[in-house]
Amino acid sequence: MSDLEVVIDGQSVEPSDGWTFAWIDEAHGVAQLSRDETRATLLVEGSGSAWVVTVDGRRLPAMVRTWRERTLAEAEVASHASAGPLNINASLPGLVVAVDVAEGAEVAAGQSLLTIEAMKMQNEVRAPRAGRIASVAVAVGQTVTKGILLLRLD
Amino acid sequence: MRKDTAAGRVTPPFERLLIANRGEIAIRIIRACRELGIESVAVYSDADVDALHVQAADRAVRIGPASPAESYLSIPAILDAARRSGAQAIHPGYGFLSENATFARAVEQAGIAFVGPPPATLASLGDKLAARRSAVAAGVPVVPGLLVPLEDPATVDLGEVGFPAMLKAAAGGGGRGMRQVDGPDEVAAALETARREAISAFGDGTVYVERLVAPARHVEVQLLGDRHGALVCLGERDCSVQRRHQKLVEESPSPAVTPEIRAAMFDSARRIAATVEFHNAATVEFLLDRDGEHYFLEMNTRLQVEHGVTELVTGVDMVAWQIRIAAGERLGRDVVDIVPHGHAIEVRLYAEDPWDAFRPVSGAVGAWRMPDGPGVRVDAGVVADTELPPEYDPLLAKLLVLADDRPAAIARLRRALDETLIGGLQTDLGFHRWLVDQPSFVSGAYDTDLIGDHWGSGPAPTSDRLELASAAAVGARVTSPPPPPQRAAADSAWGRLARREAIRR
Repeated sequence: MSDLEVVIDGQSVEPSDGWTFAWIDEAHGVAQLSRDETRATLLVEGSGSAWVVTVDGRRLPAMVRTWRERTLAEAEVASHASAGPLNINASLPGLVVAVDVAEGAEVAAGQSLLTIEAMKMQNEVRAPRAGRIASVAVAVGQTVTKGILLLRLD
Repeated sequence: MRKDTAAGRVTPPFERLLIANRGEIAIRIIRACRELGIESVAVYSDADVDALHVQAADRAVRIGPASPAESYLSIPAILDAARRSGAQAIHPGYGFLSENATFARAVEQAGIAFVGPPPATLASLGDKLAARRSAVAAGVPVVPGLLVPLEDPATVDLGEVGFPAMLKAAAGGGGRGMRQVDGPDEVAAALETARREAISAFGDGTVYVERLVAPARHVEVQLLGDRHGALVCLGERDCSVQRRHQKLVEESPSPAVTPEIRAAMFDSARRIAATVEFHNAATVEFLLDRDGEHYFLEMNTRLQVEHGVTELVTGVDMVAWQIRIAAGERLGRDVVDIVPHGHAIEVRLYAEDPWDAFRPVSGAVGAWRMPDGPGVRVDAGVVADTELPPEYDPLLAKLLVLADDRPAAIARLRRALDETLIGGLQTDLGFHRWLVDQPSFVSGAYDTDLIGDHWGSGPAPTSDRLELASAAAVGARVTSPPPPPQRAAADSAWGRLARREAIRR
């Protein structure tokens, strides 16, 4: 086990020692950790190297990888990272109720770009950085699913 | 818990009742129907074919596509379902059409009993601005502000209202169409957003303005009245733990309400009710300031999400009584003379992320373990492995506890939350667990700013909890099947890495 590295929510965390792990309900990620007479029930969902551990009610992504897997994944990311155009995708499904910018508009970081109504709430989508709107992929009245392209920022 | 006042009945008030709602409240109403010997009819949209309320009901009728406007908000679709199923009564639950006077009128015109106040009452109280004017006329204190719609902010002297102020939708409720404005220059933009939200949520963009009362508590009085003039105040509920002006936690009695304040609020509630022809269930909402002064906010003429809190401390089955009142029954002396006992707290379990401004999340519930044992009640609309349709409210369940007093109720709630596990998506469970240890909540001296003042963006996990989580993640990996073999792309990544390393040398 010592060859596995754990990164929780972006930070490297050494596992605490001496715990015995057992699934209570593996299909739903319910597990029990025990050490001496201490017991803790918690949620660990996922597969392979990518897990989500619920800590005090908060879901935290946990990567469990060997050194080789981590190096590979980082190389993969590095090869794709460039300062090119940025796609802005819907972070939640809903209805587009307002589009505040048009193609070609110069926007400042934090500026409201459009509004998606979901779960009866108005959610503003803001520019993650300054730039020019390369294209607007949605229109008012359109229903969007999670992950769909909304705008492209140059 | 207590003796059920509806138990031991012989003749059901109706043979068949249609529930024009979904989720946990539909299930709550189905339960009341069962106990009263009434056949229940669920309605469902295409997104809810496999929903729990559909499985729980005696009958189920499809009413349309997933979009609420074409299903749960469609008056023709629901009336058609009622006619086809032969329902004699319709219970609207909360939200959707519950306060829609046009719907109530159409139901009654179809010869079906509407489980709620008379349509004219819904119409007059549904307009929050008109209700404000009625309250002033009835001698009930209201929050200072305009008594007419805010149309063009440039033509109105808002200096008299004072800042910070709140913009509110006249047709509003549930925190939608509400915006805080801290100064005159913010009004125009906020008015635009409030109008848009109000039109989208209620089909009416009328907005008015009132002064922000802060710090304040949000306390409401539960009313139940029959068609023969009997009216009872079933205690109050404190709903001050809020985010986005929406309630997250409710308790009864309110730790801020003394017998004197209670008497004054009950008097105001009765005065408001007397301005209209009222029967069935309603809630009169007030702001309570630090000096113990109360201000009328609105009267909601329907069952509230948090009605269970009142049921626990009074032993009155409010949903059953709503149905019995709709059938013309009189409130019994046992209800009219009720004296609440004990302390009840409810926490709402929502699919939302308290660490990301309580933003609603969609997805599917995975693990679902609800608490049990003495003094615990769970009203849930989902089970394990339930997909949440994004079209509807993300309320998963309500967890309620009853104990002899407030400290015991908090201890019971803490215990119940520790028994609860919800997987698959982020919920507010961790927020509630934090809350029951939060000093201002425990002392009872909190107000509607509690979340903003004390939660902020939420606490970070402690290092020992992270190390435990780390151990769990390692345990999960080594005891589950190995990941699928590396893809070809990964090999090329090795290649690229090797090439970069070579260039560097």
